[in-house]
Amino acid sequence: MASIDLEKMRQKIKNTQWALVDFDWGSPGAEKITTEQWPKLKTFMADLMWIEHVGARGFAALAKSAPTDNLREIYTYFHAEEQRHANAEMALMKRWGMLDKNEPPVPSANLRLVIEWLERYADDTPFNLLATLIPMLEVALDGALCKYLLETVDDPLCHEIFAKINDDESRHLGVGFTVMEMQGKGPHYIAFIQMLGHLFDPRLIAGALVYFPLLNSMRDNLIAMGMQEEKLYKSIAKFKEIGGRTDQGRRNPWFQVIQYHGTIMVDRSNHFYHVPVDMLVALSNKIPRRLLPSPPTWVAELTHRPIA
Amino acid sequence: MNDLTINNRINQTLDVIIIGAGFSGLGMAIQLQQANINNIAILERDKEVGGCWRDNQYPGAACDIPSHLYSFSFAPNPNWSRAYSNSHEILEYIKSLVSDFELQRYIRFNTNVSNITFDEKAGFWTIKTDKRKALKARSIVIASGPLANCSFPNIPNLKEYKGHKIHSARWDHNFNFSGKKVALVGTGASAIQIIPKLVKKVKHLTVFQRTPAWVLPRLDAETPQWISSLFRELPSAQKLSRQAIFALHEVGALGLIWNSPLTSAMQRVALKHLQHQVKDDWMQRQLTPNFRIGCKRVLMSNNYYPALQQPNCKLITWPIARMSEKGIRCAEGIEHQFDCIVFATGFDIGTQTAPFSVKGVGGRDLGEDWKRGAQAYKSINVSGYPNLFLTFGPNSGPGHNSALVYVESQLNYAVQGIQRILNEDLAQLDVQAKAQEKYNIKIQKRLSKTNWNSGCKSWYLTEDGFNATMFPGFATQYSIQMRQFKDKDYHRVSAI
Ligand SMILES: Cc1cc2nc3c(=O)[nH]c(=O)nc-3n(C[C@H](O)[C@H](O)[C@H](O)COP(=O)(O)OP(=O)(O)OC[C@H]3O[C@@H](n4cnc5c(N)ncnc54)[C@H](O)[C@@H]3O)c2cc1C
Ligand SMILES: [Fe+2]
Repeated sequence: MASIDLEKMRQKIKNTQWALVDFDWGSPGAEKITTEQWPKLKTFMADLMWIEHVGARGFAALAKSAPTDNLREIYTYFHAEEQRHANAEMALMKRWGMLDKNEPPVPSANLRLVIEWLERYADDTPFNLLATLIPMLEVALDGALCKYLLETVDDPLCHEIFAKINDDESRHLGVGFTVMEMQGKGPHYIAFIQMLGHLFDPRLIAGALVYFPLLNSMRDNLIAMGMQEEKLYKSIAKFKEIGGRTDQGRRNPWFQVIQYHGTIMVDRSNHFYHVPVDMLVALSNKIPRRLLPSPPTWVAELTHRPIA
Repeated sequence: MNDLTINNRINQTLDVIIIGAGFSGLGMAIQLQQANINNIAILERDKEVGGCWRDNQYPGAACDIPSHLYSFSFAPNPNWSRAYSNSHEILEYIKSLVSDFELQRYIRFNTNVSNITFDEKAGFWTIKTDKRKALKARSIVIASGPLANCSFPNIPNLKEYKGHKIHSARWDHNFNFSGKKVALVGTGASAIQIIPKLVKKVKHLTVFQRTPAWVLPRLDAETPQWISSLFRELPSAQKLSRQAIFALHEVGALGLIWNSPLTSAMQRVALKHLQHQVKDDWMQRQLTPNFRIGCKRVLMSNNYYPALQQPNCKLITWPIARMSEKGIRCAEGIEHQFDCIVFATGFDIGTQTAPFSVKGVGGRDLGEDWKRGAQAYKSINVSGYPNLFLTFGPNSGPGHNSALVYVESQLNYAVQGIQRILNEDLAQLDVQAKAQEKYNIKIQKRLSKTNWNSGCKSWYLTEDGFNATMFPGFATQYSIQMRQFKDKDYHRVSAI
């Protein structure tokens, strides 16, 4: 993947829009979900859908802080496209009879905390951090999860939909890595010192406290479903490889921090990291629902209906 | 000349032909008439006068500069019913100009000008219209309007939509909105006037926003009876009030045109207005502009934000992907279906392009000359196009004050020019290219320091970011520059 021309990319994005109505949601294939598969798939899809939705909110924040008009517009589209993925996944859940009362699935406590954090702080998070973190999440979670899904589910409609989602996703990553490399331009030490300043910002520490457990709990869910952990680790290796393929990419200090964290995360033997983070996962699951603030209204924009 | 009915003079070479019967064209005729220049005609493509106020009869249409200032100083109206009158009342005022100044006799309706060509030797313009016979005039005033031609957004598959389509500037008064699912595209000046009215009529209204604008509270009120009586009895009181309103708007320029402490103050007021009227955090975020106030046209409304929050209204900020047979598909993957789509998407901007084919000296073409950015001398004359005057030419627009204040200066200037052509019997009165260039260098330099050029995309700028629309200064500055016809900047050729 070479660095891409972002102007051309914006045009390409506009020319490759798709909609839920492009698909026949009543077509045969839904019956291919086995009863054994069903409950696990339901949890899995719920997580996946929420991650798309959370990613969408991340892009919305990027659209606000983007340094150029072009990037601002690109991220505005990506925001909507992640929402489209969430909507499409919700529509698949509907097709498979996984929606209770046609409502979006209830997010896990950990996701609720992530949503809350995004709502409060995402718009103030340094552009450079978010622009590096989101590709990481997309590679690690989206990438690994989608691959796994396609290996286990036989419904042809699901494959059609994910072909589209993956196309979008590859554009998101193309832009993501290009922007990461752009950040490696300019004097190294300035970027480094700026980053150090942010590392100790309490808002970001709070962010880490919801982000680390999210990754660990996703890992647990995947394993519970029978996916090999290696898939997740491979994805993170991919992030390291592509993000660090050029000098410029490696000079982006946020890339170094995030890929270092990725390395620790996949190293199960690192108890210094995993014991406390797993405790956080357990802890967040114990938070009584009523203590969680009511979800922000952007969450209500999710829909499984192709037509409004 | 006794019989001024235009149909009886149509075969002569007229002194002046005015194109357009809106505020500018009619004002021009009044001023020429007062200077005793009567061998004139007004060509209007529509069947009625009124220009943009005839066209913009959408629900809620009103001016956003107080009527006492948004009217001609030479034709004061003591009877404005509100501070900001509605479109209907403004149109009535324009029609009263026609009867009060006996302009009917000059006007040829249903006459669409398609091209004008200058004959250098003879010193007159030939005007071709959609009628068979061409017309001739020694000078021309183009008053075809800065915002006279509707523009539709650049949405893929626009034509595919089969439901009812309405443009705000060509309202369909026969369409019955009740019980309908309606979309409104755009959140500019027209949209924020329409939305509060429309939401009351329809079953459901979906508003599609690309970029939010800054919205200030609007201080509108009915005119108390005693004010109208006072103004009728004592015209000088009305004049004084007009001057006060004018001065107030001039102060506004400090905040709107340049980045000053007043800019931040205004922005804070707009933000407070938003936060006060919209409580939901996400909606507040959707409605908060990401550019400095003044960079785009500032809007004023008290009922726009509340309307958006009505239970039967929804604001959508997803990018529009394309139109389909039944509605609008957005990038979030959902097709939104409607019985009717209203486009409040503005106009092709008249200050930036030639309105029709204009051929000057040596066959040069105004459209070609303006391809890389429209330019004129003091917004009114263009070198190479003698005996031609523009109202709302390049860089004549105000962002903070009544457009008619600018028009009045232009009319007065055009009269001075036309008087020279007639009195000195000139074949050509042409502004010198050097003078025009010097003027534009100055204008562009001053524009670079304004809020309009501070980085947002707006209709003030062309696709390439060139500002051929706004005048970078106070209305007073503009009036001063237009007061005197500067003879030494012009090149003259006498008629033989
Ligand atoms: C909705 C709206 C609200 C506005 N509110 C304000 C405000 O509050 N304050 C303010 O200062 N300004 C406002 N404006 C700006 C407004 O355009 C000017 O103030 C002014 O009315 C323009 O008058 P005009 O005569 O130059 O142009 P117009 O009123 O547009 O008249 C031009 C006329 O020329 C005719 N014409 C065009 N082309 C041809 C042709 N080829 N052949 C023959 N005839 C032709 C048209 O049919 C039209 O009748 C507003 C504009 C709009 C659209
Ligand atoms: Fe995604």
